[in-house]
Parts: sequence; structure tokens; C-alpha cells
Amino acid sequence: MVDRFLHMFEVAATQGHGSIATILFIGFIFGAVIQWARVDKFEKIAGFAMLEDMTVPKMLFFAIGLASIGLYFMIEAGYAHYHVKPILLGGLVIGAILFGIAMAIFGKCPGTGPVSIAEGRVDVLVGAIGGIFGGLLFTYAYPWFKPIMGPDYKKATLPSIFEGHESVVILIYGAALILISFLIPDIEYLDAEDEERRADI
Amino acid sequence: MPRKISWLAGGFLMALLILFTFSIFGADRPIGASTYVPYFAGLLFNLDPQKYEYMAEIEKAGAWEGVMLIGAFFGALFMSVFVTKTFRFSVVPTLWRERKNGSVLSRLTWSFIAGFVMIIGARLAGGCTSGHFLSGASQIAVSGLIFGGVTMTTVIITGRVFYKKRGENGR
Repeated sequence: MVDRFLHMFEVAATQGHGSIATILFIGFIFGAVIQWARVDKFEKIAGFAMLEDMTVPKMLFFAIGLASIGLYFMIEAGYAHYHVKPILLGGLVIGAILFGIAMAIFGKCPGTGPVSIAEGRVDVLVGAIGGIFGGLLFTYAYPWFKPIMGPDYKKATLPSIFEGHESVVILIYGAALILISFLIPDIEYLDAEDEERRADI
Repeated sequence: MPRKISWLAGGFLMALLILFTFSIFGADRPIGASTYVPYFAGLLFNLDPQKYEYMAEIEKAGAWEGVMLIGAFFGALFMSVFVTKTFRFSVVPTLWRERKNGSVLSRLTWSFIAGFVMIIGARLAGGCTSGHFLSGASQIAVSGLIFGGVTMTTVIITGRVFYKKRGENGR
């Protein structure tokens, strides 16, 4: 197991997607920003499910709106590339339904889980063990899962459907998401046990 | 440093991180955070990639995300201890106690089940909040938009069905 753990670093470093230092840095900032904004908390994600806290959708919509415009200009300038996932409709819809149910009950997603464990949430550690078994089952049962994941409608982006008007579509999309992020009511569930207050900046 | 940042500051920093990760100066790939779970399961249970098709398929992405999530763990540990000062061992979240119940066993059982189902769902869909939402929707990928729409709707329906109504518990 130790061998394979070390092998992980080797595989990560030699696939042309950044050095180990770069990947660790990306992860460190990812975890730090999520923890700093407190969006790893049960009260933030399950709070959105109960419509008690809108921090998560506000932050998501704003980040995606801003990143979509930035990414477009970076790709135009040759500083980045598209990495679009295919539309495997069956897997997408069934997967998203299971994911949504689990997210509302767990109050975490796979990215915020490790962040919550790092701040001492024992329930999330137990959920992560459940996740490991879920991953194990998926790996064993992959040959049976595969047929329900299709049909494959290939890779598509919304702007590519409006050929010739890509930049307009992207700018409208980005601006609309940013606008929505401000329009979503700014309500927050402040956790007394954490002595949580509203942020100043 | 402030002990907490708003959705606006958090969203801004997250957008910068997405752009850095996508850029050729960063990783030239999207952010993803669910492939590492079956990958870690493969490491723990010593599954042979030559025997299991899925292990072979996720070999590269799983390793990359595995390293990234180690970084995320330490980033969060650093912030929770030194900046937000929120590190404490806890089992039942405040809002769960208010809207569900105060039982440790109930919370742990549901966490385990939800963690299990979440990873099956994410792997069926081929991504999670990070891969489909943050990265996919930033590229305006149709797959990311479908995932985002269905997930958000299901989250809110589950929230209504699974928890008690506000005030039912004597808030």
C-alpha cells in the first residue's frame, strides 16, 4: 500500500498537469478558500437544501460567472484549453439525482469533505468511509453500471451551438450568472456553536 | 487576517484558482474532486488496474486529484487552526440537531449512507460540484449545466422532504 501511495505522486507528477508542488499548491488554496468562507459546513450546504443559507449558491454562481469570462479570454490568448466532459445522459441524470439527495443529507460534497474532516468533523470522517465503500462498489460493478450511463451525446458547450456568436453568448452567460449571484437573497444561518458571525469582506 | 470571508470574496478567490488551474502556467486541466475517492479505495484494497477496468481508467485523474486533496486537507487544517480558529471535534451539526434530531447514531448512519450514495452518484455522472459545476459550468459545458440543474433541484426537494419544517422542533 505504501508503494502504491508513493506511486500516486509519481503518476501525478509525470502526466503534464503540473509538478507535485503546483498540484499541492492548488489543493492548499482550494481547501483554504473553502474553509475561510466556511462553505464546507453542514449549515451551508444542507442549509441551502432547507433554504436557510444561500452562501453556497451565491459563491458558486459568482465564481462560475467570473471564471467563464476569464477562461474565454485566456483560451483565446492561448493560455488555456477547453477540457469538456462528454454528455453521457443516463449517467448524468441518474448520477445527479443520487448526488443531490446525498448532498442534502450529508451536507458535504467530495471536495468539501476533506476540508470538514480537517476541522474536526467526526461525522464527515464516517461519511468519507462510506464514500470509500461507494467507490469500491462502483469499481467492482463498473461493467454493469456502464450500459445505463449512455447514450453518449459527445462533448458540447453552449457557445458552440451558437456558432459565430460564441463571444456574445459567453459574455451574456457570465454577466447573467454574476447578476444572479447578487440577486439571490443574502441570508445566512449563523452557527452559534462556532460563534459564527457575518464576514466583513 | 479576517476570521471569515464573504461569498463574494470567496467566489472571487475561487474564480482565480479555477483560472490558474486551467492555465498552462498551472495544471492545464480542470479542478476535480471525486475521482480520488474510488482511486483511494483502489489503493486501500489493493485493486489491480489490470484486472479492474475502472481502476485503469482513473489511474491518471485519480492520482492527480489524490495529491490535490492532500493539499486541500492541509490548507483547511492550516486555516481552521490559525485563521478561522474553528477547529474542534464535533459529531452532530447544529442545524441537524435543530431540524432532524440530536442522535449521534442517526447522524453517523445517515452520513455513512449519504457518503456511499454520493460517490456512486458522482462517478455515474462523471464529476461532482468541482468537476461539473466549478469547472464544467465555467466552460459552459452542456454536461455541467445538466448536472448543475438536476443536482440543485434534487437538493432542494430532498431538503423539504428529509428535514422537519422550521419551528417544528420549537426553535
